[in-house]
Amino acid sequence: MSDPMAEIKASFFLECEELLEQLQDGLNRFEEGDDDPETVNEVFRAVHSIKGGAGAFGLTALVDFAHIFETSMDVVRSGEKSPEADDHKTFLVASDILCDLVAASRDETDVSPDRVEESVAALKAFLGENGTDPEEDEVDPADFQPMGVSMTLPDVGGATTGSPGATQILPDLSALPETAPEPQEDPGNTSAQNAVPGTPGFSIHFRPDPSLFTSGNEPLHLLKILSELGETTINCHCDELPPIEQLDGEESYLSWTIDIRTTHSEQEIREVFDFVEDLCELRIETQEIATPDVFAPEEPASQPPSSDTEPPTPPIPEVETTVSKPDPQPSVTTAPSVSAAVPSQPSKAKETTAKPAKTGGTVRVELDRIDRLVNLVGELVINQAMLSQSVVEAGIGSDQNVAAGLDEFMQLTRDIQDSVMAIRAQPVKSLFQRMGRIVREASSAVGKDVRFVTSGEATEVDKTVIERLADPLTHMIRNAVDHGLEKNEERKNKGKTSQGTVKLSASHKSGRVLIEVSDDGGGINRQVVLRKAIEKGLISEGNQLTDSEIDNLLFLPGFSTAAEISNLSGRGVGMDVVRNSITALGGRISITSETDKGTKFSISLPLTLAVQDGMVIEVAHQTLVVPLNNIIETITLTADNLREMGPATTVVQLRDDFVPLLDLAVELGFAPPRSSYDDCVALLISPEEDSMAAVVIDKIIEQRQVVIKGLQDSYGAISGIAAATILGDGQIALILDAGDVISNASGRTRNTVETLQLTGAIA
Amino acid sequence: MSLREQIRIMVVDDMSTSRGLITQALDEFGVRDVTAVSDGTSALEAFQKYPVHLIISDYNMPNMDGLHLLHALRSNEHTRNVGFILITGRADRAVIDSGKQLGMNNFLKKPFTPQELKSSIEAVVGRL
Repeated sequence: MSDPMAEIKASFFLECEELLEQLQDGLNRFEEGDDDPETVNEVFRAVHSIKGGAGAFGLTALVDFAHIFETSMDVVRSGEKSPEADDHKTFLVASDILCDLVAASRDETDVSPDRVEESVAALKAFLGENGTDPEEDEVDPADFQPMGVSMTLPDVGGATTGSPGATQILPDLSALPETAPEPQEDPGNTSAQNAVPGTPGFSIHFRPDPSLFTSGNEPLHLLKILSELGETTINCHCDELPPIEQLDGEESYLSWTIDIRTTHSEQEIREVFDFVEDLCELRIETQEIATPDVFAPEEPASQPPSSDTEPPTPPIPEVETTVSKPDPQPSVTTAPSVSAAVPSQPSKAKETTAKPAKTGGTVRVELDRIDRLVNLVGELVINQAMLSQSVVEAGIGSDQNVAAGLDEFMQLTRDIQDSVMAIRAQPVKSLFQRMGRIVREASSAVGKDVRFVTSGEATEVDKTVIERLADPLTHMIRNAVDHGLEKNEERKNKGKTSQGTVKLSASHKSGRVLIEVSDDGGGINRQVVLRKAIEKGLISEGNQLTDSEIDNLLFLPGFSTAAEISNLSGRGVGMDVVRNSITALGGRISITSETDKGTKFSISLPLTLAVQDGMVIEVAHQTLVVPLNNIIETITLTADNLREMGPATTVVQLRDDFVPLLDLAVELGFAPPRSSYDDCVALLISPEEDSMAAVVIDKIIEQRQVVIKGLQDSYGAISGIAAATILGDGQIALILDAGDVISNASGRTRNTVETLQLTGAIA
Repeated sequence: MSLREQIRIMVVDDMSTSRGLITQALDEFGVRDVTAVSDGTSALEAFQKYPVHLIISDYNMPNMDGLHLLHALRSNEHTRNVGFILITGRADRAVIDSGKQLGMNNFLKKPFTPQELKSSIEAVVGRL
């Protein structure tokens, strides 16, 4: 018992996540002025459902809070009170608290009671006089007289007897005042008296010929099959049976009548007798009363909710009138609340036909299972590569059938891989919603008026990426509110709107996901940044830095804006930590800023963490993989395009641009610089928008998809190396971290021994 | 065969948690034939394919709420005889009265124990 309950409870918390998402979504739309009654309804329903589920598991703290929240939303829903700007904030905060309470119930932790009470107080303030507990007008279940159902259960004594219990509790219909005046057939009344069974039925007469027995058929077997098709009442007729002395062992004397109640068609019944049809006498009669034509699909018009042509559920007003008319007892409050519920209903009924149920389209799967699948697919990709290689080595690669088969295999592998990756992909919406809360909390903490705008919420990213993005994004959003935006008055003085804007957007861009966090604040104060960097000894005083270089100082470890301590900073997290977590995801972060216009952080992430397109190359007898999306083009170096630049660096002239030349073997410490770079192959790589280099390699082997195997767990972060992979021949190859190679190389080309040697070699 | 082995019950609730709880409880009562659907429209469709003796439906559901479902069931001569138990979060007098009006057989207020569910079913169909 405990086991299925635990499962249901776990699924409740999962369901809560969906409901909370719906709730926040609805509240956001509502705040933006969406006045569709269905929006408020959705919000109400989400809270209501959470409360209902929580009640079943005895989660009282959750129930209590959900209750007052629900009451507030009910007041809004019924139009008794329309919320103002501050009220929307109250609701959003309440949804945050509800979210926390759900999480606390799940993790069996506590939520700070102050925050809960604060939110409860705010909701109560909103409710004001309307806060009277609606439970006062609830019906006590004990006052309700249950009505018996007349059930037809053919096996109990006969075809149409009701169950004994049902007949005993058949209601005293005259006691229900409302049922009488209705000129139409009254549902309650008929339901009690009419014993028409709900299931169609057939009466089957079956008399086997002697040949049925001589051909080895067994009537008992047929009867058993029949009883599997529905509820059967079987009568055996043995009146033709002669006295024993006249009995002929090879004659057939018995016949049967089978009454069956079934949803199967006559055709399906007949099929049971398929093999003996010619060996018996068979009559199948439809039992008229038992085959209501509603079950014939061609009569949809008899179903009001599925009918488009008729006005949707016209009798609803009836309910209203009949309720308020004959019952003198209910206080005045009853009537308004009924009619209040009514207006929204016709529109709902209409929607029933238009909008198919959205539930049922998804399956919840444990993440472990998906991960196992992802791993297996990774193995499959490796295996496919190895097989291709073996085929070539065995000299049968030129065989047309083999080649075609391999091609198809490769295509299928790729398709499977894409599909599996799509399973892990999730829209960033939930992540963005969480950021909405960060903005709310941060802005109220520092007393700034902030508008939070999101776009591209449907953009899908690997689940792990989304999870690991939460912390860095939170930090960046807080920074944007705290440091990025100016104070309200300062903004006014600058001629800006006093309300600042923080934008969060996601989009797909050339095989990667681009996430941008921007604000319309004052931009980076480069003077301050520069001074601080010098103070902290991160750069020396005489350095001439470009604006972009100054902006990027923010990412240096040890650079913190902690001097301007506010409620939000001083958490010990700097932008270097943000950059590290982005890099760990295979992403890059860059910053752009304009004085008085604002600051923008751009994060570019791989779509998936598991597989990458790469160029397999060789450097100093080592096989390496360069991520394909880092490579712009391949170039052949010649004396014409190589230029010596300064004492320690060489550049490649590329059309009108000069690009630094890096010898990968030197950068990775595999080999000393070579004597000449003339006629060498180089890859033009650009892992980020404004960093580019020509990387000298020995040769290009092939382009392929590689399965990424992380190294960090075993070896920690290795400079210049992002991960490893297994190639088709089973060999392990390292995957290059192009951005790292470039940034580290530019850091040491000026004064390291290797680079001096390098330039010497060229000269 | 006892009633619990023969009765066909359909559970209608938009929350899978509630569906799970009710079907789980019915399972424990020994009720064998239980269908669960997530909204009123599906309930009507399912009923057409496979009629049941008793429907246990939530009140508050998107698209078609429990009362609308009841109304739809009662306005069709072939579905009107089905037993109907309404489950509500709040037993608002207005809702219960409308339910009564439409011929609801019983109602149950959330949260409820499996025993309360059982009693409320037995009050309508007899001893399980």
